[in-house]
Amino acid sequence: MIRFDKVSKTYPGQKRAALDGIDLEVTKGEFVFLVGASGSGKSTFLRLILRETRPSTGNVYVAGKEINKLSSWKVPKLRREIGTVFQDFRLLPNKSVTENVAFALQVIGKSRQEIDELVPETLELVGLEGKGHRMPEELSGGEQQRVAIARAFVNRPKILIADEPTGNLDPATSVGIMKLLDRINRTDTTVIMATHDSSIVDQMRKRVIELNEGRLVRDEARGIYGYQN
Amino acid sequence: MRAILSELRASLSRNTSMTISLIVTMSVSLMLASLGLLIQAQADRTERYFGDRLQLQVNLCTKNSPAATCVGGVATDEQKLAVQDALDSNPEVKSFSVRSPEDNFEQARELLGQTDTGRKQLETLGPDSFPESYFVTLNDPQDFDGVVSQVSGMDGVGNVNSLRELLGPLFEMLDKLQWASLGTALLLIVAAILQVSNTIRMTAFARRREIGIMRLVGASSWHIQLPFVLESLVAALVSAALAASGLAAFMHFVVYGYLRDTLGTITTWVRWQDAFVVMGWTTALSIVLALIPTLVMTRKYLNV
Repeated sequence: MIRFDKVSKTYPGQKRAALDGIDLEVTKGEFVFLVGASGSGKSTFLRLILRETRPSTGNVYVAGKEINKLSSWKVPKLRREIGTVFQDFRLLPNKSVTENVAFALQVIGKSRQEIDELVPETLELVGLEGKGHRMPEELSGGEQQRVAIARAFVNRPKILIADEPTGNLDPATSVGIMKLLDRINRTDTTVIMATHDSSIVDQMRKRVIELNEGRLVRDEARGIYGYQN
Repeated sequence: MRAILSELRASLSRNTSMTISLIVTMSVSLMLASLGLLIQAQADRTERYFGDRLQLQVNLCTKNSPAATCVGGVATDEQKLAVQDALDSNPEVKSFSVRSPEDNFEQARELLGQTDTGRKQLETLGPDSFPESYFVTLNDPQDFDGVVSQVSGMDGVGNVNSLRELLGPLFEMLDKLQWASLGTALLLIVAAILQVSNTIRMTAFARRREIGIMRLVGASSWHIQLPFVLESLVAALVSAALAASGLAAFMHFVVYGYLRDTLGTITTWVRWQDAFVVMGWTTALSIVLALIPTLVMTRKYLNV
């Protein structure tokens, strides 16, 4: 599903490589934790998958496409295969829960009928049934993250990228979010989650990829968080 | 589509003051541009009537010509041939064209038809009141003395006019007016383009979160650009409509209400059909003016 082939990335004007010789593969339906200190290259890793940037050397393959060779007008199509969730939720404050989720489908030109079908279904999946008319500010942090996950997943992407999705949440709420991501993973969706939350990683016992100064230093099948911040 | 339209409405209302200022700048610049184009149309029309401004006009005798060379009445065919031969063989003459009395009558009908007195005058005139004329183009327009003295003494020639002297001041004024209006229009057009760019930058900033999400979920470039393009297009069309009404007012009050009546004897003045052509051009111009900076700027600020 995702393959990094000797990938290095150096940003213009920077001496040190953000990523250095990364070589790995993530198969369909896997759940992967991406760990490492700030500045270790996690964000660049995720940005490459989203084709927000391109590798300096090496190749990245996402959903069967070589992102280096992908012309820019095909990038939107690639991104429809990928859902993304952030630490800060990034909901639109002037839209209701339903509208926020529907927005993701409207802007890729889905029909009204599809939207009316998919949005309530997805809200139910993330546990927000009956809250569609609420505004984001009326929701708790955990609920807001569920809306964001619903928005990322409503188009049924093959890959879900979560960039510290529990970073702003208390431990109990985080557990709920992890259960939700696990449920999504069970629908054969590949999940890649960058995190600093050691207890979550230790509990879930999924594959762990650790980066340090742009290098891959650990890739364990049922790993733990493994280092102290 | 509904989503895009509601987006457009929201965006227009959010940027009301920016949009209004853009529309004002644009419509004033378009108005000036259309005035410039109208003056161009006027100059063309005057030129078509009088011939090129650098030409000499040789009028042959009519039955009523007072000149001494016209004692025989209307110029005879031999006299015509003699004049044509003289022009042909003169080294200062580059070329000449013939305008028949009927053509001259038609031209006069148009000119005189603009005013009441002119229309009365027309009742007493017919094609035979008008001479056959030759419009002579010289190799060197400054150097008309030789030709004038050669043909003005010939039998059958009623008079010779240098259009340069006759029309020089009129053309000069039209030229200056045209350049002044087009020059000012150009300055304002630069301002309008900058305003389009600024509006887009501010809108892109105000909507950065939405645009970020659109990019993330895979909205196509045109889908992201469309609200901006539509917004500019609406502003452009409103401006074009305002400029067109300004021009229409100018036609109604100045051209039809004043020039045609009081200065109708100088030249034939522009008509509604000329104004409509100009309106078409300025509408096209407004669309180009709005779309090009919008497409360039959205690419720059939206990373689409």
